[in-house]
Amino acid sequence: MNLRVIGANLVVDIKSFYREKTAVFFRIAFPVILILVFGTIFMDKDDLSFDLCVQDLDQTKSSAQLVQTLTGSDRFKITTIAPDLNAAQYAKDHKLNLILGIPAGFEKSLMQKMIIADPDASFALTVVYDPSASAVTTKMQVLDAMLAVANQKLSGKPPFLHLVKTSILAKKYRFIEFFIPGIIAMAVMTSCLFGAVNVNAELRQKGVLRKLATTPITHTDWILSNILYQFLLAALATVVILLVSYAVFHVRLQINAWLPVFVVLDVFAFVGFGMILTRVAREAESAAAAANAFMFPMMFLSGTFFPVEMMPGFLQKFARILPLYYVNEGLRASMVSADNTAALGYAAVIGVFAAVVFVLGIMTTTLNEDRT
Amino acid sequence: MTKEIEHVIEVEHLTKRYGALLAVNDLSFTVRRGEVFAFLGANGAGKTTTVEIIETIRTPTSGKVCLFGLDVTKKKREFIHRIGVLPQGFNSFDRITVRETLQYYARLFGCRNADLDGLIALADLKDKTHEQFHKLSGGLKQRLGIAVALVNDPEVVFLDEPTTGLDPHARREVWAVLLDLKNKGKTIFLTTHYMEEAEFLADRVAILSKGRIVALDSPGHLTESHANYLVLTLQAVEERASEIIRKMGFAPVQDNHRNIKVRLERADDVQKILNAIQASGATFRGLDVRKPNLEEVFLSLTGEAGREDHAGGWGAE
Repeated sequence: MNLRVIGANLVVDIKSFYREKTAVFFRIAFPVILILVFGTIFMDKDDLSFDLCVQDLDQTKSSAQLVQTLTGSDRFKITTIAPDLNAAQYAKDHKLNLILGIPAGFEKSLMQKMIIADPDASFALTVVYDPSASAVTTKMQVLDAMLAVANQKLSGKPPFLHLVKTSILAKKYRFIEFFIPGIIAMAVMTSCLFGAVNVNAELRQKGVLRKLATTPITHTDWILSNILYQFLLAALATVVILLVSYAVFHVRLQINAWLPVFVVLDVFAFVGFGMILTRVAREAESAAAAANAFMFPMMFLSGTFFPVEMMPGFLQKFARILPLYYVNEGLRASMVSADNTAALGYAAVIGVFAAVVFVLGIMTTTLNEDRT
Repeated sequence: MTKEIEHVIEVEHLTKRYGALLAVNDLSFTVRRGEVFAFLGANGAGKTTTVEIIETIRTPTSGKVCLFGLDVTKKKREFIHRIGVLPQGFNSFDRITVRETLQYYARLFGCRNADLDGLIALADLKDKTHEQFHKLSGGLKQRLGIAVALVNDPEVVFLDEPTTGLDPHARREVWAVLLDLKNKGKTIFLTTHYMEEAEFLADRVAILSKGRIVALDSPGHLTESHANYLVLTLQAVEERASEIIRKMGFAPVQDNHRNIKVRLERADDVQKILNAIQASGATFRGLDVRKPNLEEVFLSLTGEAGREDHAGGWGAE
């Protein structure tokens, strides 16, 4: 190992990186953009507020009170439309996906229910909706839940069955706090995989490695300098992701020794994997395509963007053979639930994988032309 | 020790196979210290494979290759600082400037006092010092490649097709650089398919065909021993002159510009032909008589002549 040679390579790698704007975008800016977009979408998932249009045909104190109740719930932003309008036509003309109608006779039926205590009394609210709109189902579920609460209050008795929620986590965490570890794992994976493929396939194809083979640089120096460079990039991406997350979303995560452990394992696993891919597909373009073929399923099926539990059973089994799943879960175990035992288990799995692929990667990577 | 001083490169029974393909077939030769040694051959003749084995980029299937008396497959670390290599189609890191590229290679070789400015001047890249590699033209990249090959002040310089893709002006600039290196006592191993280049630069030329050396000597000796004839060229000659020359037992070849070329085994045949044309009253604008060059030697030795038009072959640059 020659530190001078490793240093020379690092200088070239770092200069190449910051002078290549697309590399900076995809390795640093892109994960940050993902966080900003997904974080903004899901920031207040528990307090989601929908637009709801209401047509009050009863025009009574009780119907006005119902509208007021819906408005006060914070789940809906209410707008009202005039009683003389055709609701269906109005929905079409104004591209509304749901209009709640309070038909005439609402107050009268309500009085009958409350004063006479008629157990069979009921009243139908109407909805005009666009079944092709994706948000309608959620809106109707929220509306149903609110009506169920209202019905239960009208009955004057507490519900027999109800839920008491106890979180297994010490604190209440938001979606963004589950999302950040996944993005760190993904950003490191993509950076290392493409970094290894670019270095080993593109430079070989261009003949740069052939020239390097005639210099004092050794196989070990070359691989070590690449690993060090990828680790620096991974550390930079992780720090930027965390800084943005803390600054914009005020996340509360456990930053402990497991974070660098998982980042290092992520680097070794995917640099090694990239080196093997380069052995299989030696042209730069086909190596990049092969990297994509492995990367995309891993991004979407290993729980980076949504929980693995949401997937069908066979896909859940498949997810558990993906290395990124163990980085995701390991980072979440350490950063979200602070579960050292679980983190250790995940680290052991990804550690074994990293060791195997990295050794295979070293064996298949050489500056010499014949041995590849 | 004496042997090392005399022969910096020794190749014995070198063979290289790629599966069923025999790329290099039992080559043996030596290169003397301070000489310019040229490998001449068509594409696929085995030039680059041979030179890449000497440079340690490839491993031989069998045979022995020594640099400075050291086995290249075992003692790379002991001689790598003493050689400089310009690989075929030199490439470097796209986003790194000319000066940074030289700095990088100087650091790899541990040359803290490398004269980067001198190398930049030698390669005539002063105006491009801060230009990134991917912005350089093919000729400039090649010149930078030569400067990189010299960054460690090597004793032996390997140049694989150093002027391929360069315009004639740039090619001659590279030749000037190489002649300067030769004058400084460097040993130069040149691989080329430009006959003119080998003829101009090389002390000795090895002609390769199908993985074998078919001739090895100085350009002058090769020409004398393998192409002992003259080529008479008559310019803008009348058509009937061809017929007259043919009737004299020669084989004239005419090109599209009414030039006729005739291969002659004896010098007095020139006068005979000129007399016959003059007697017929046919006219021509000019004439040229010259000894064949390395290209004719190459074509005759490698068996390529049969595939070439004779006139094109003899007249080609």
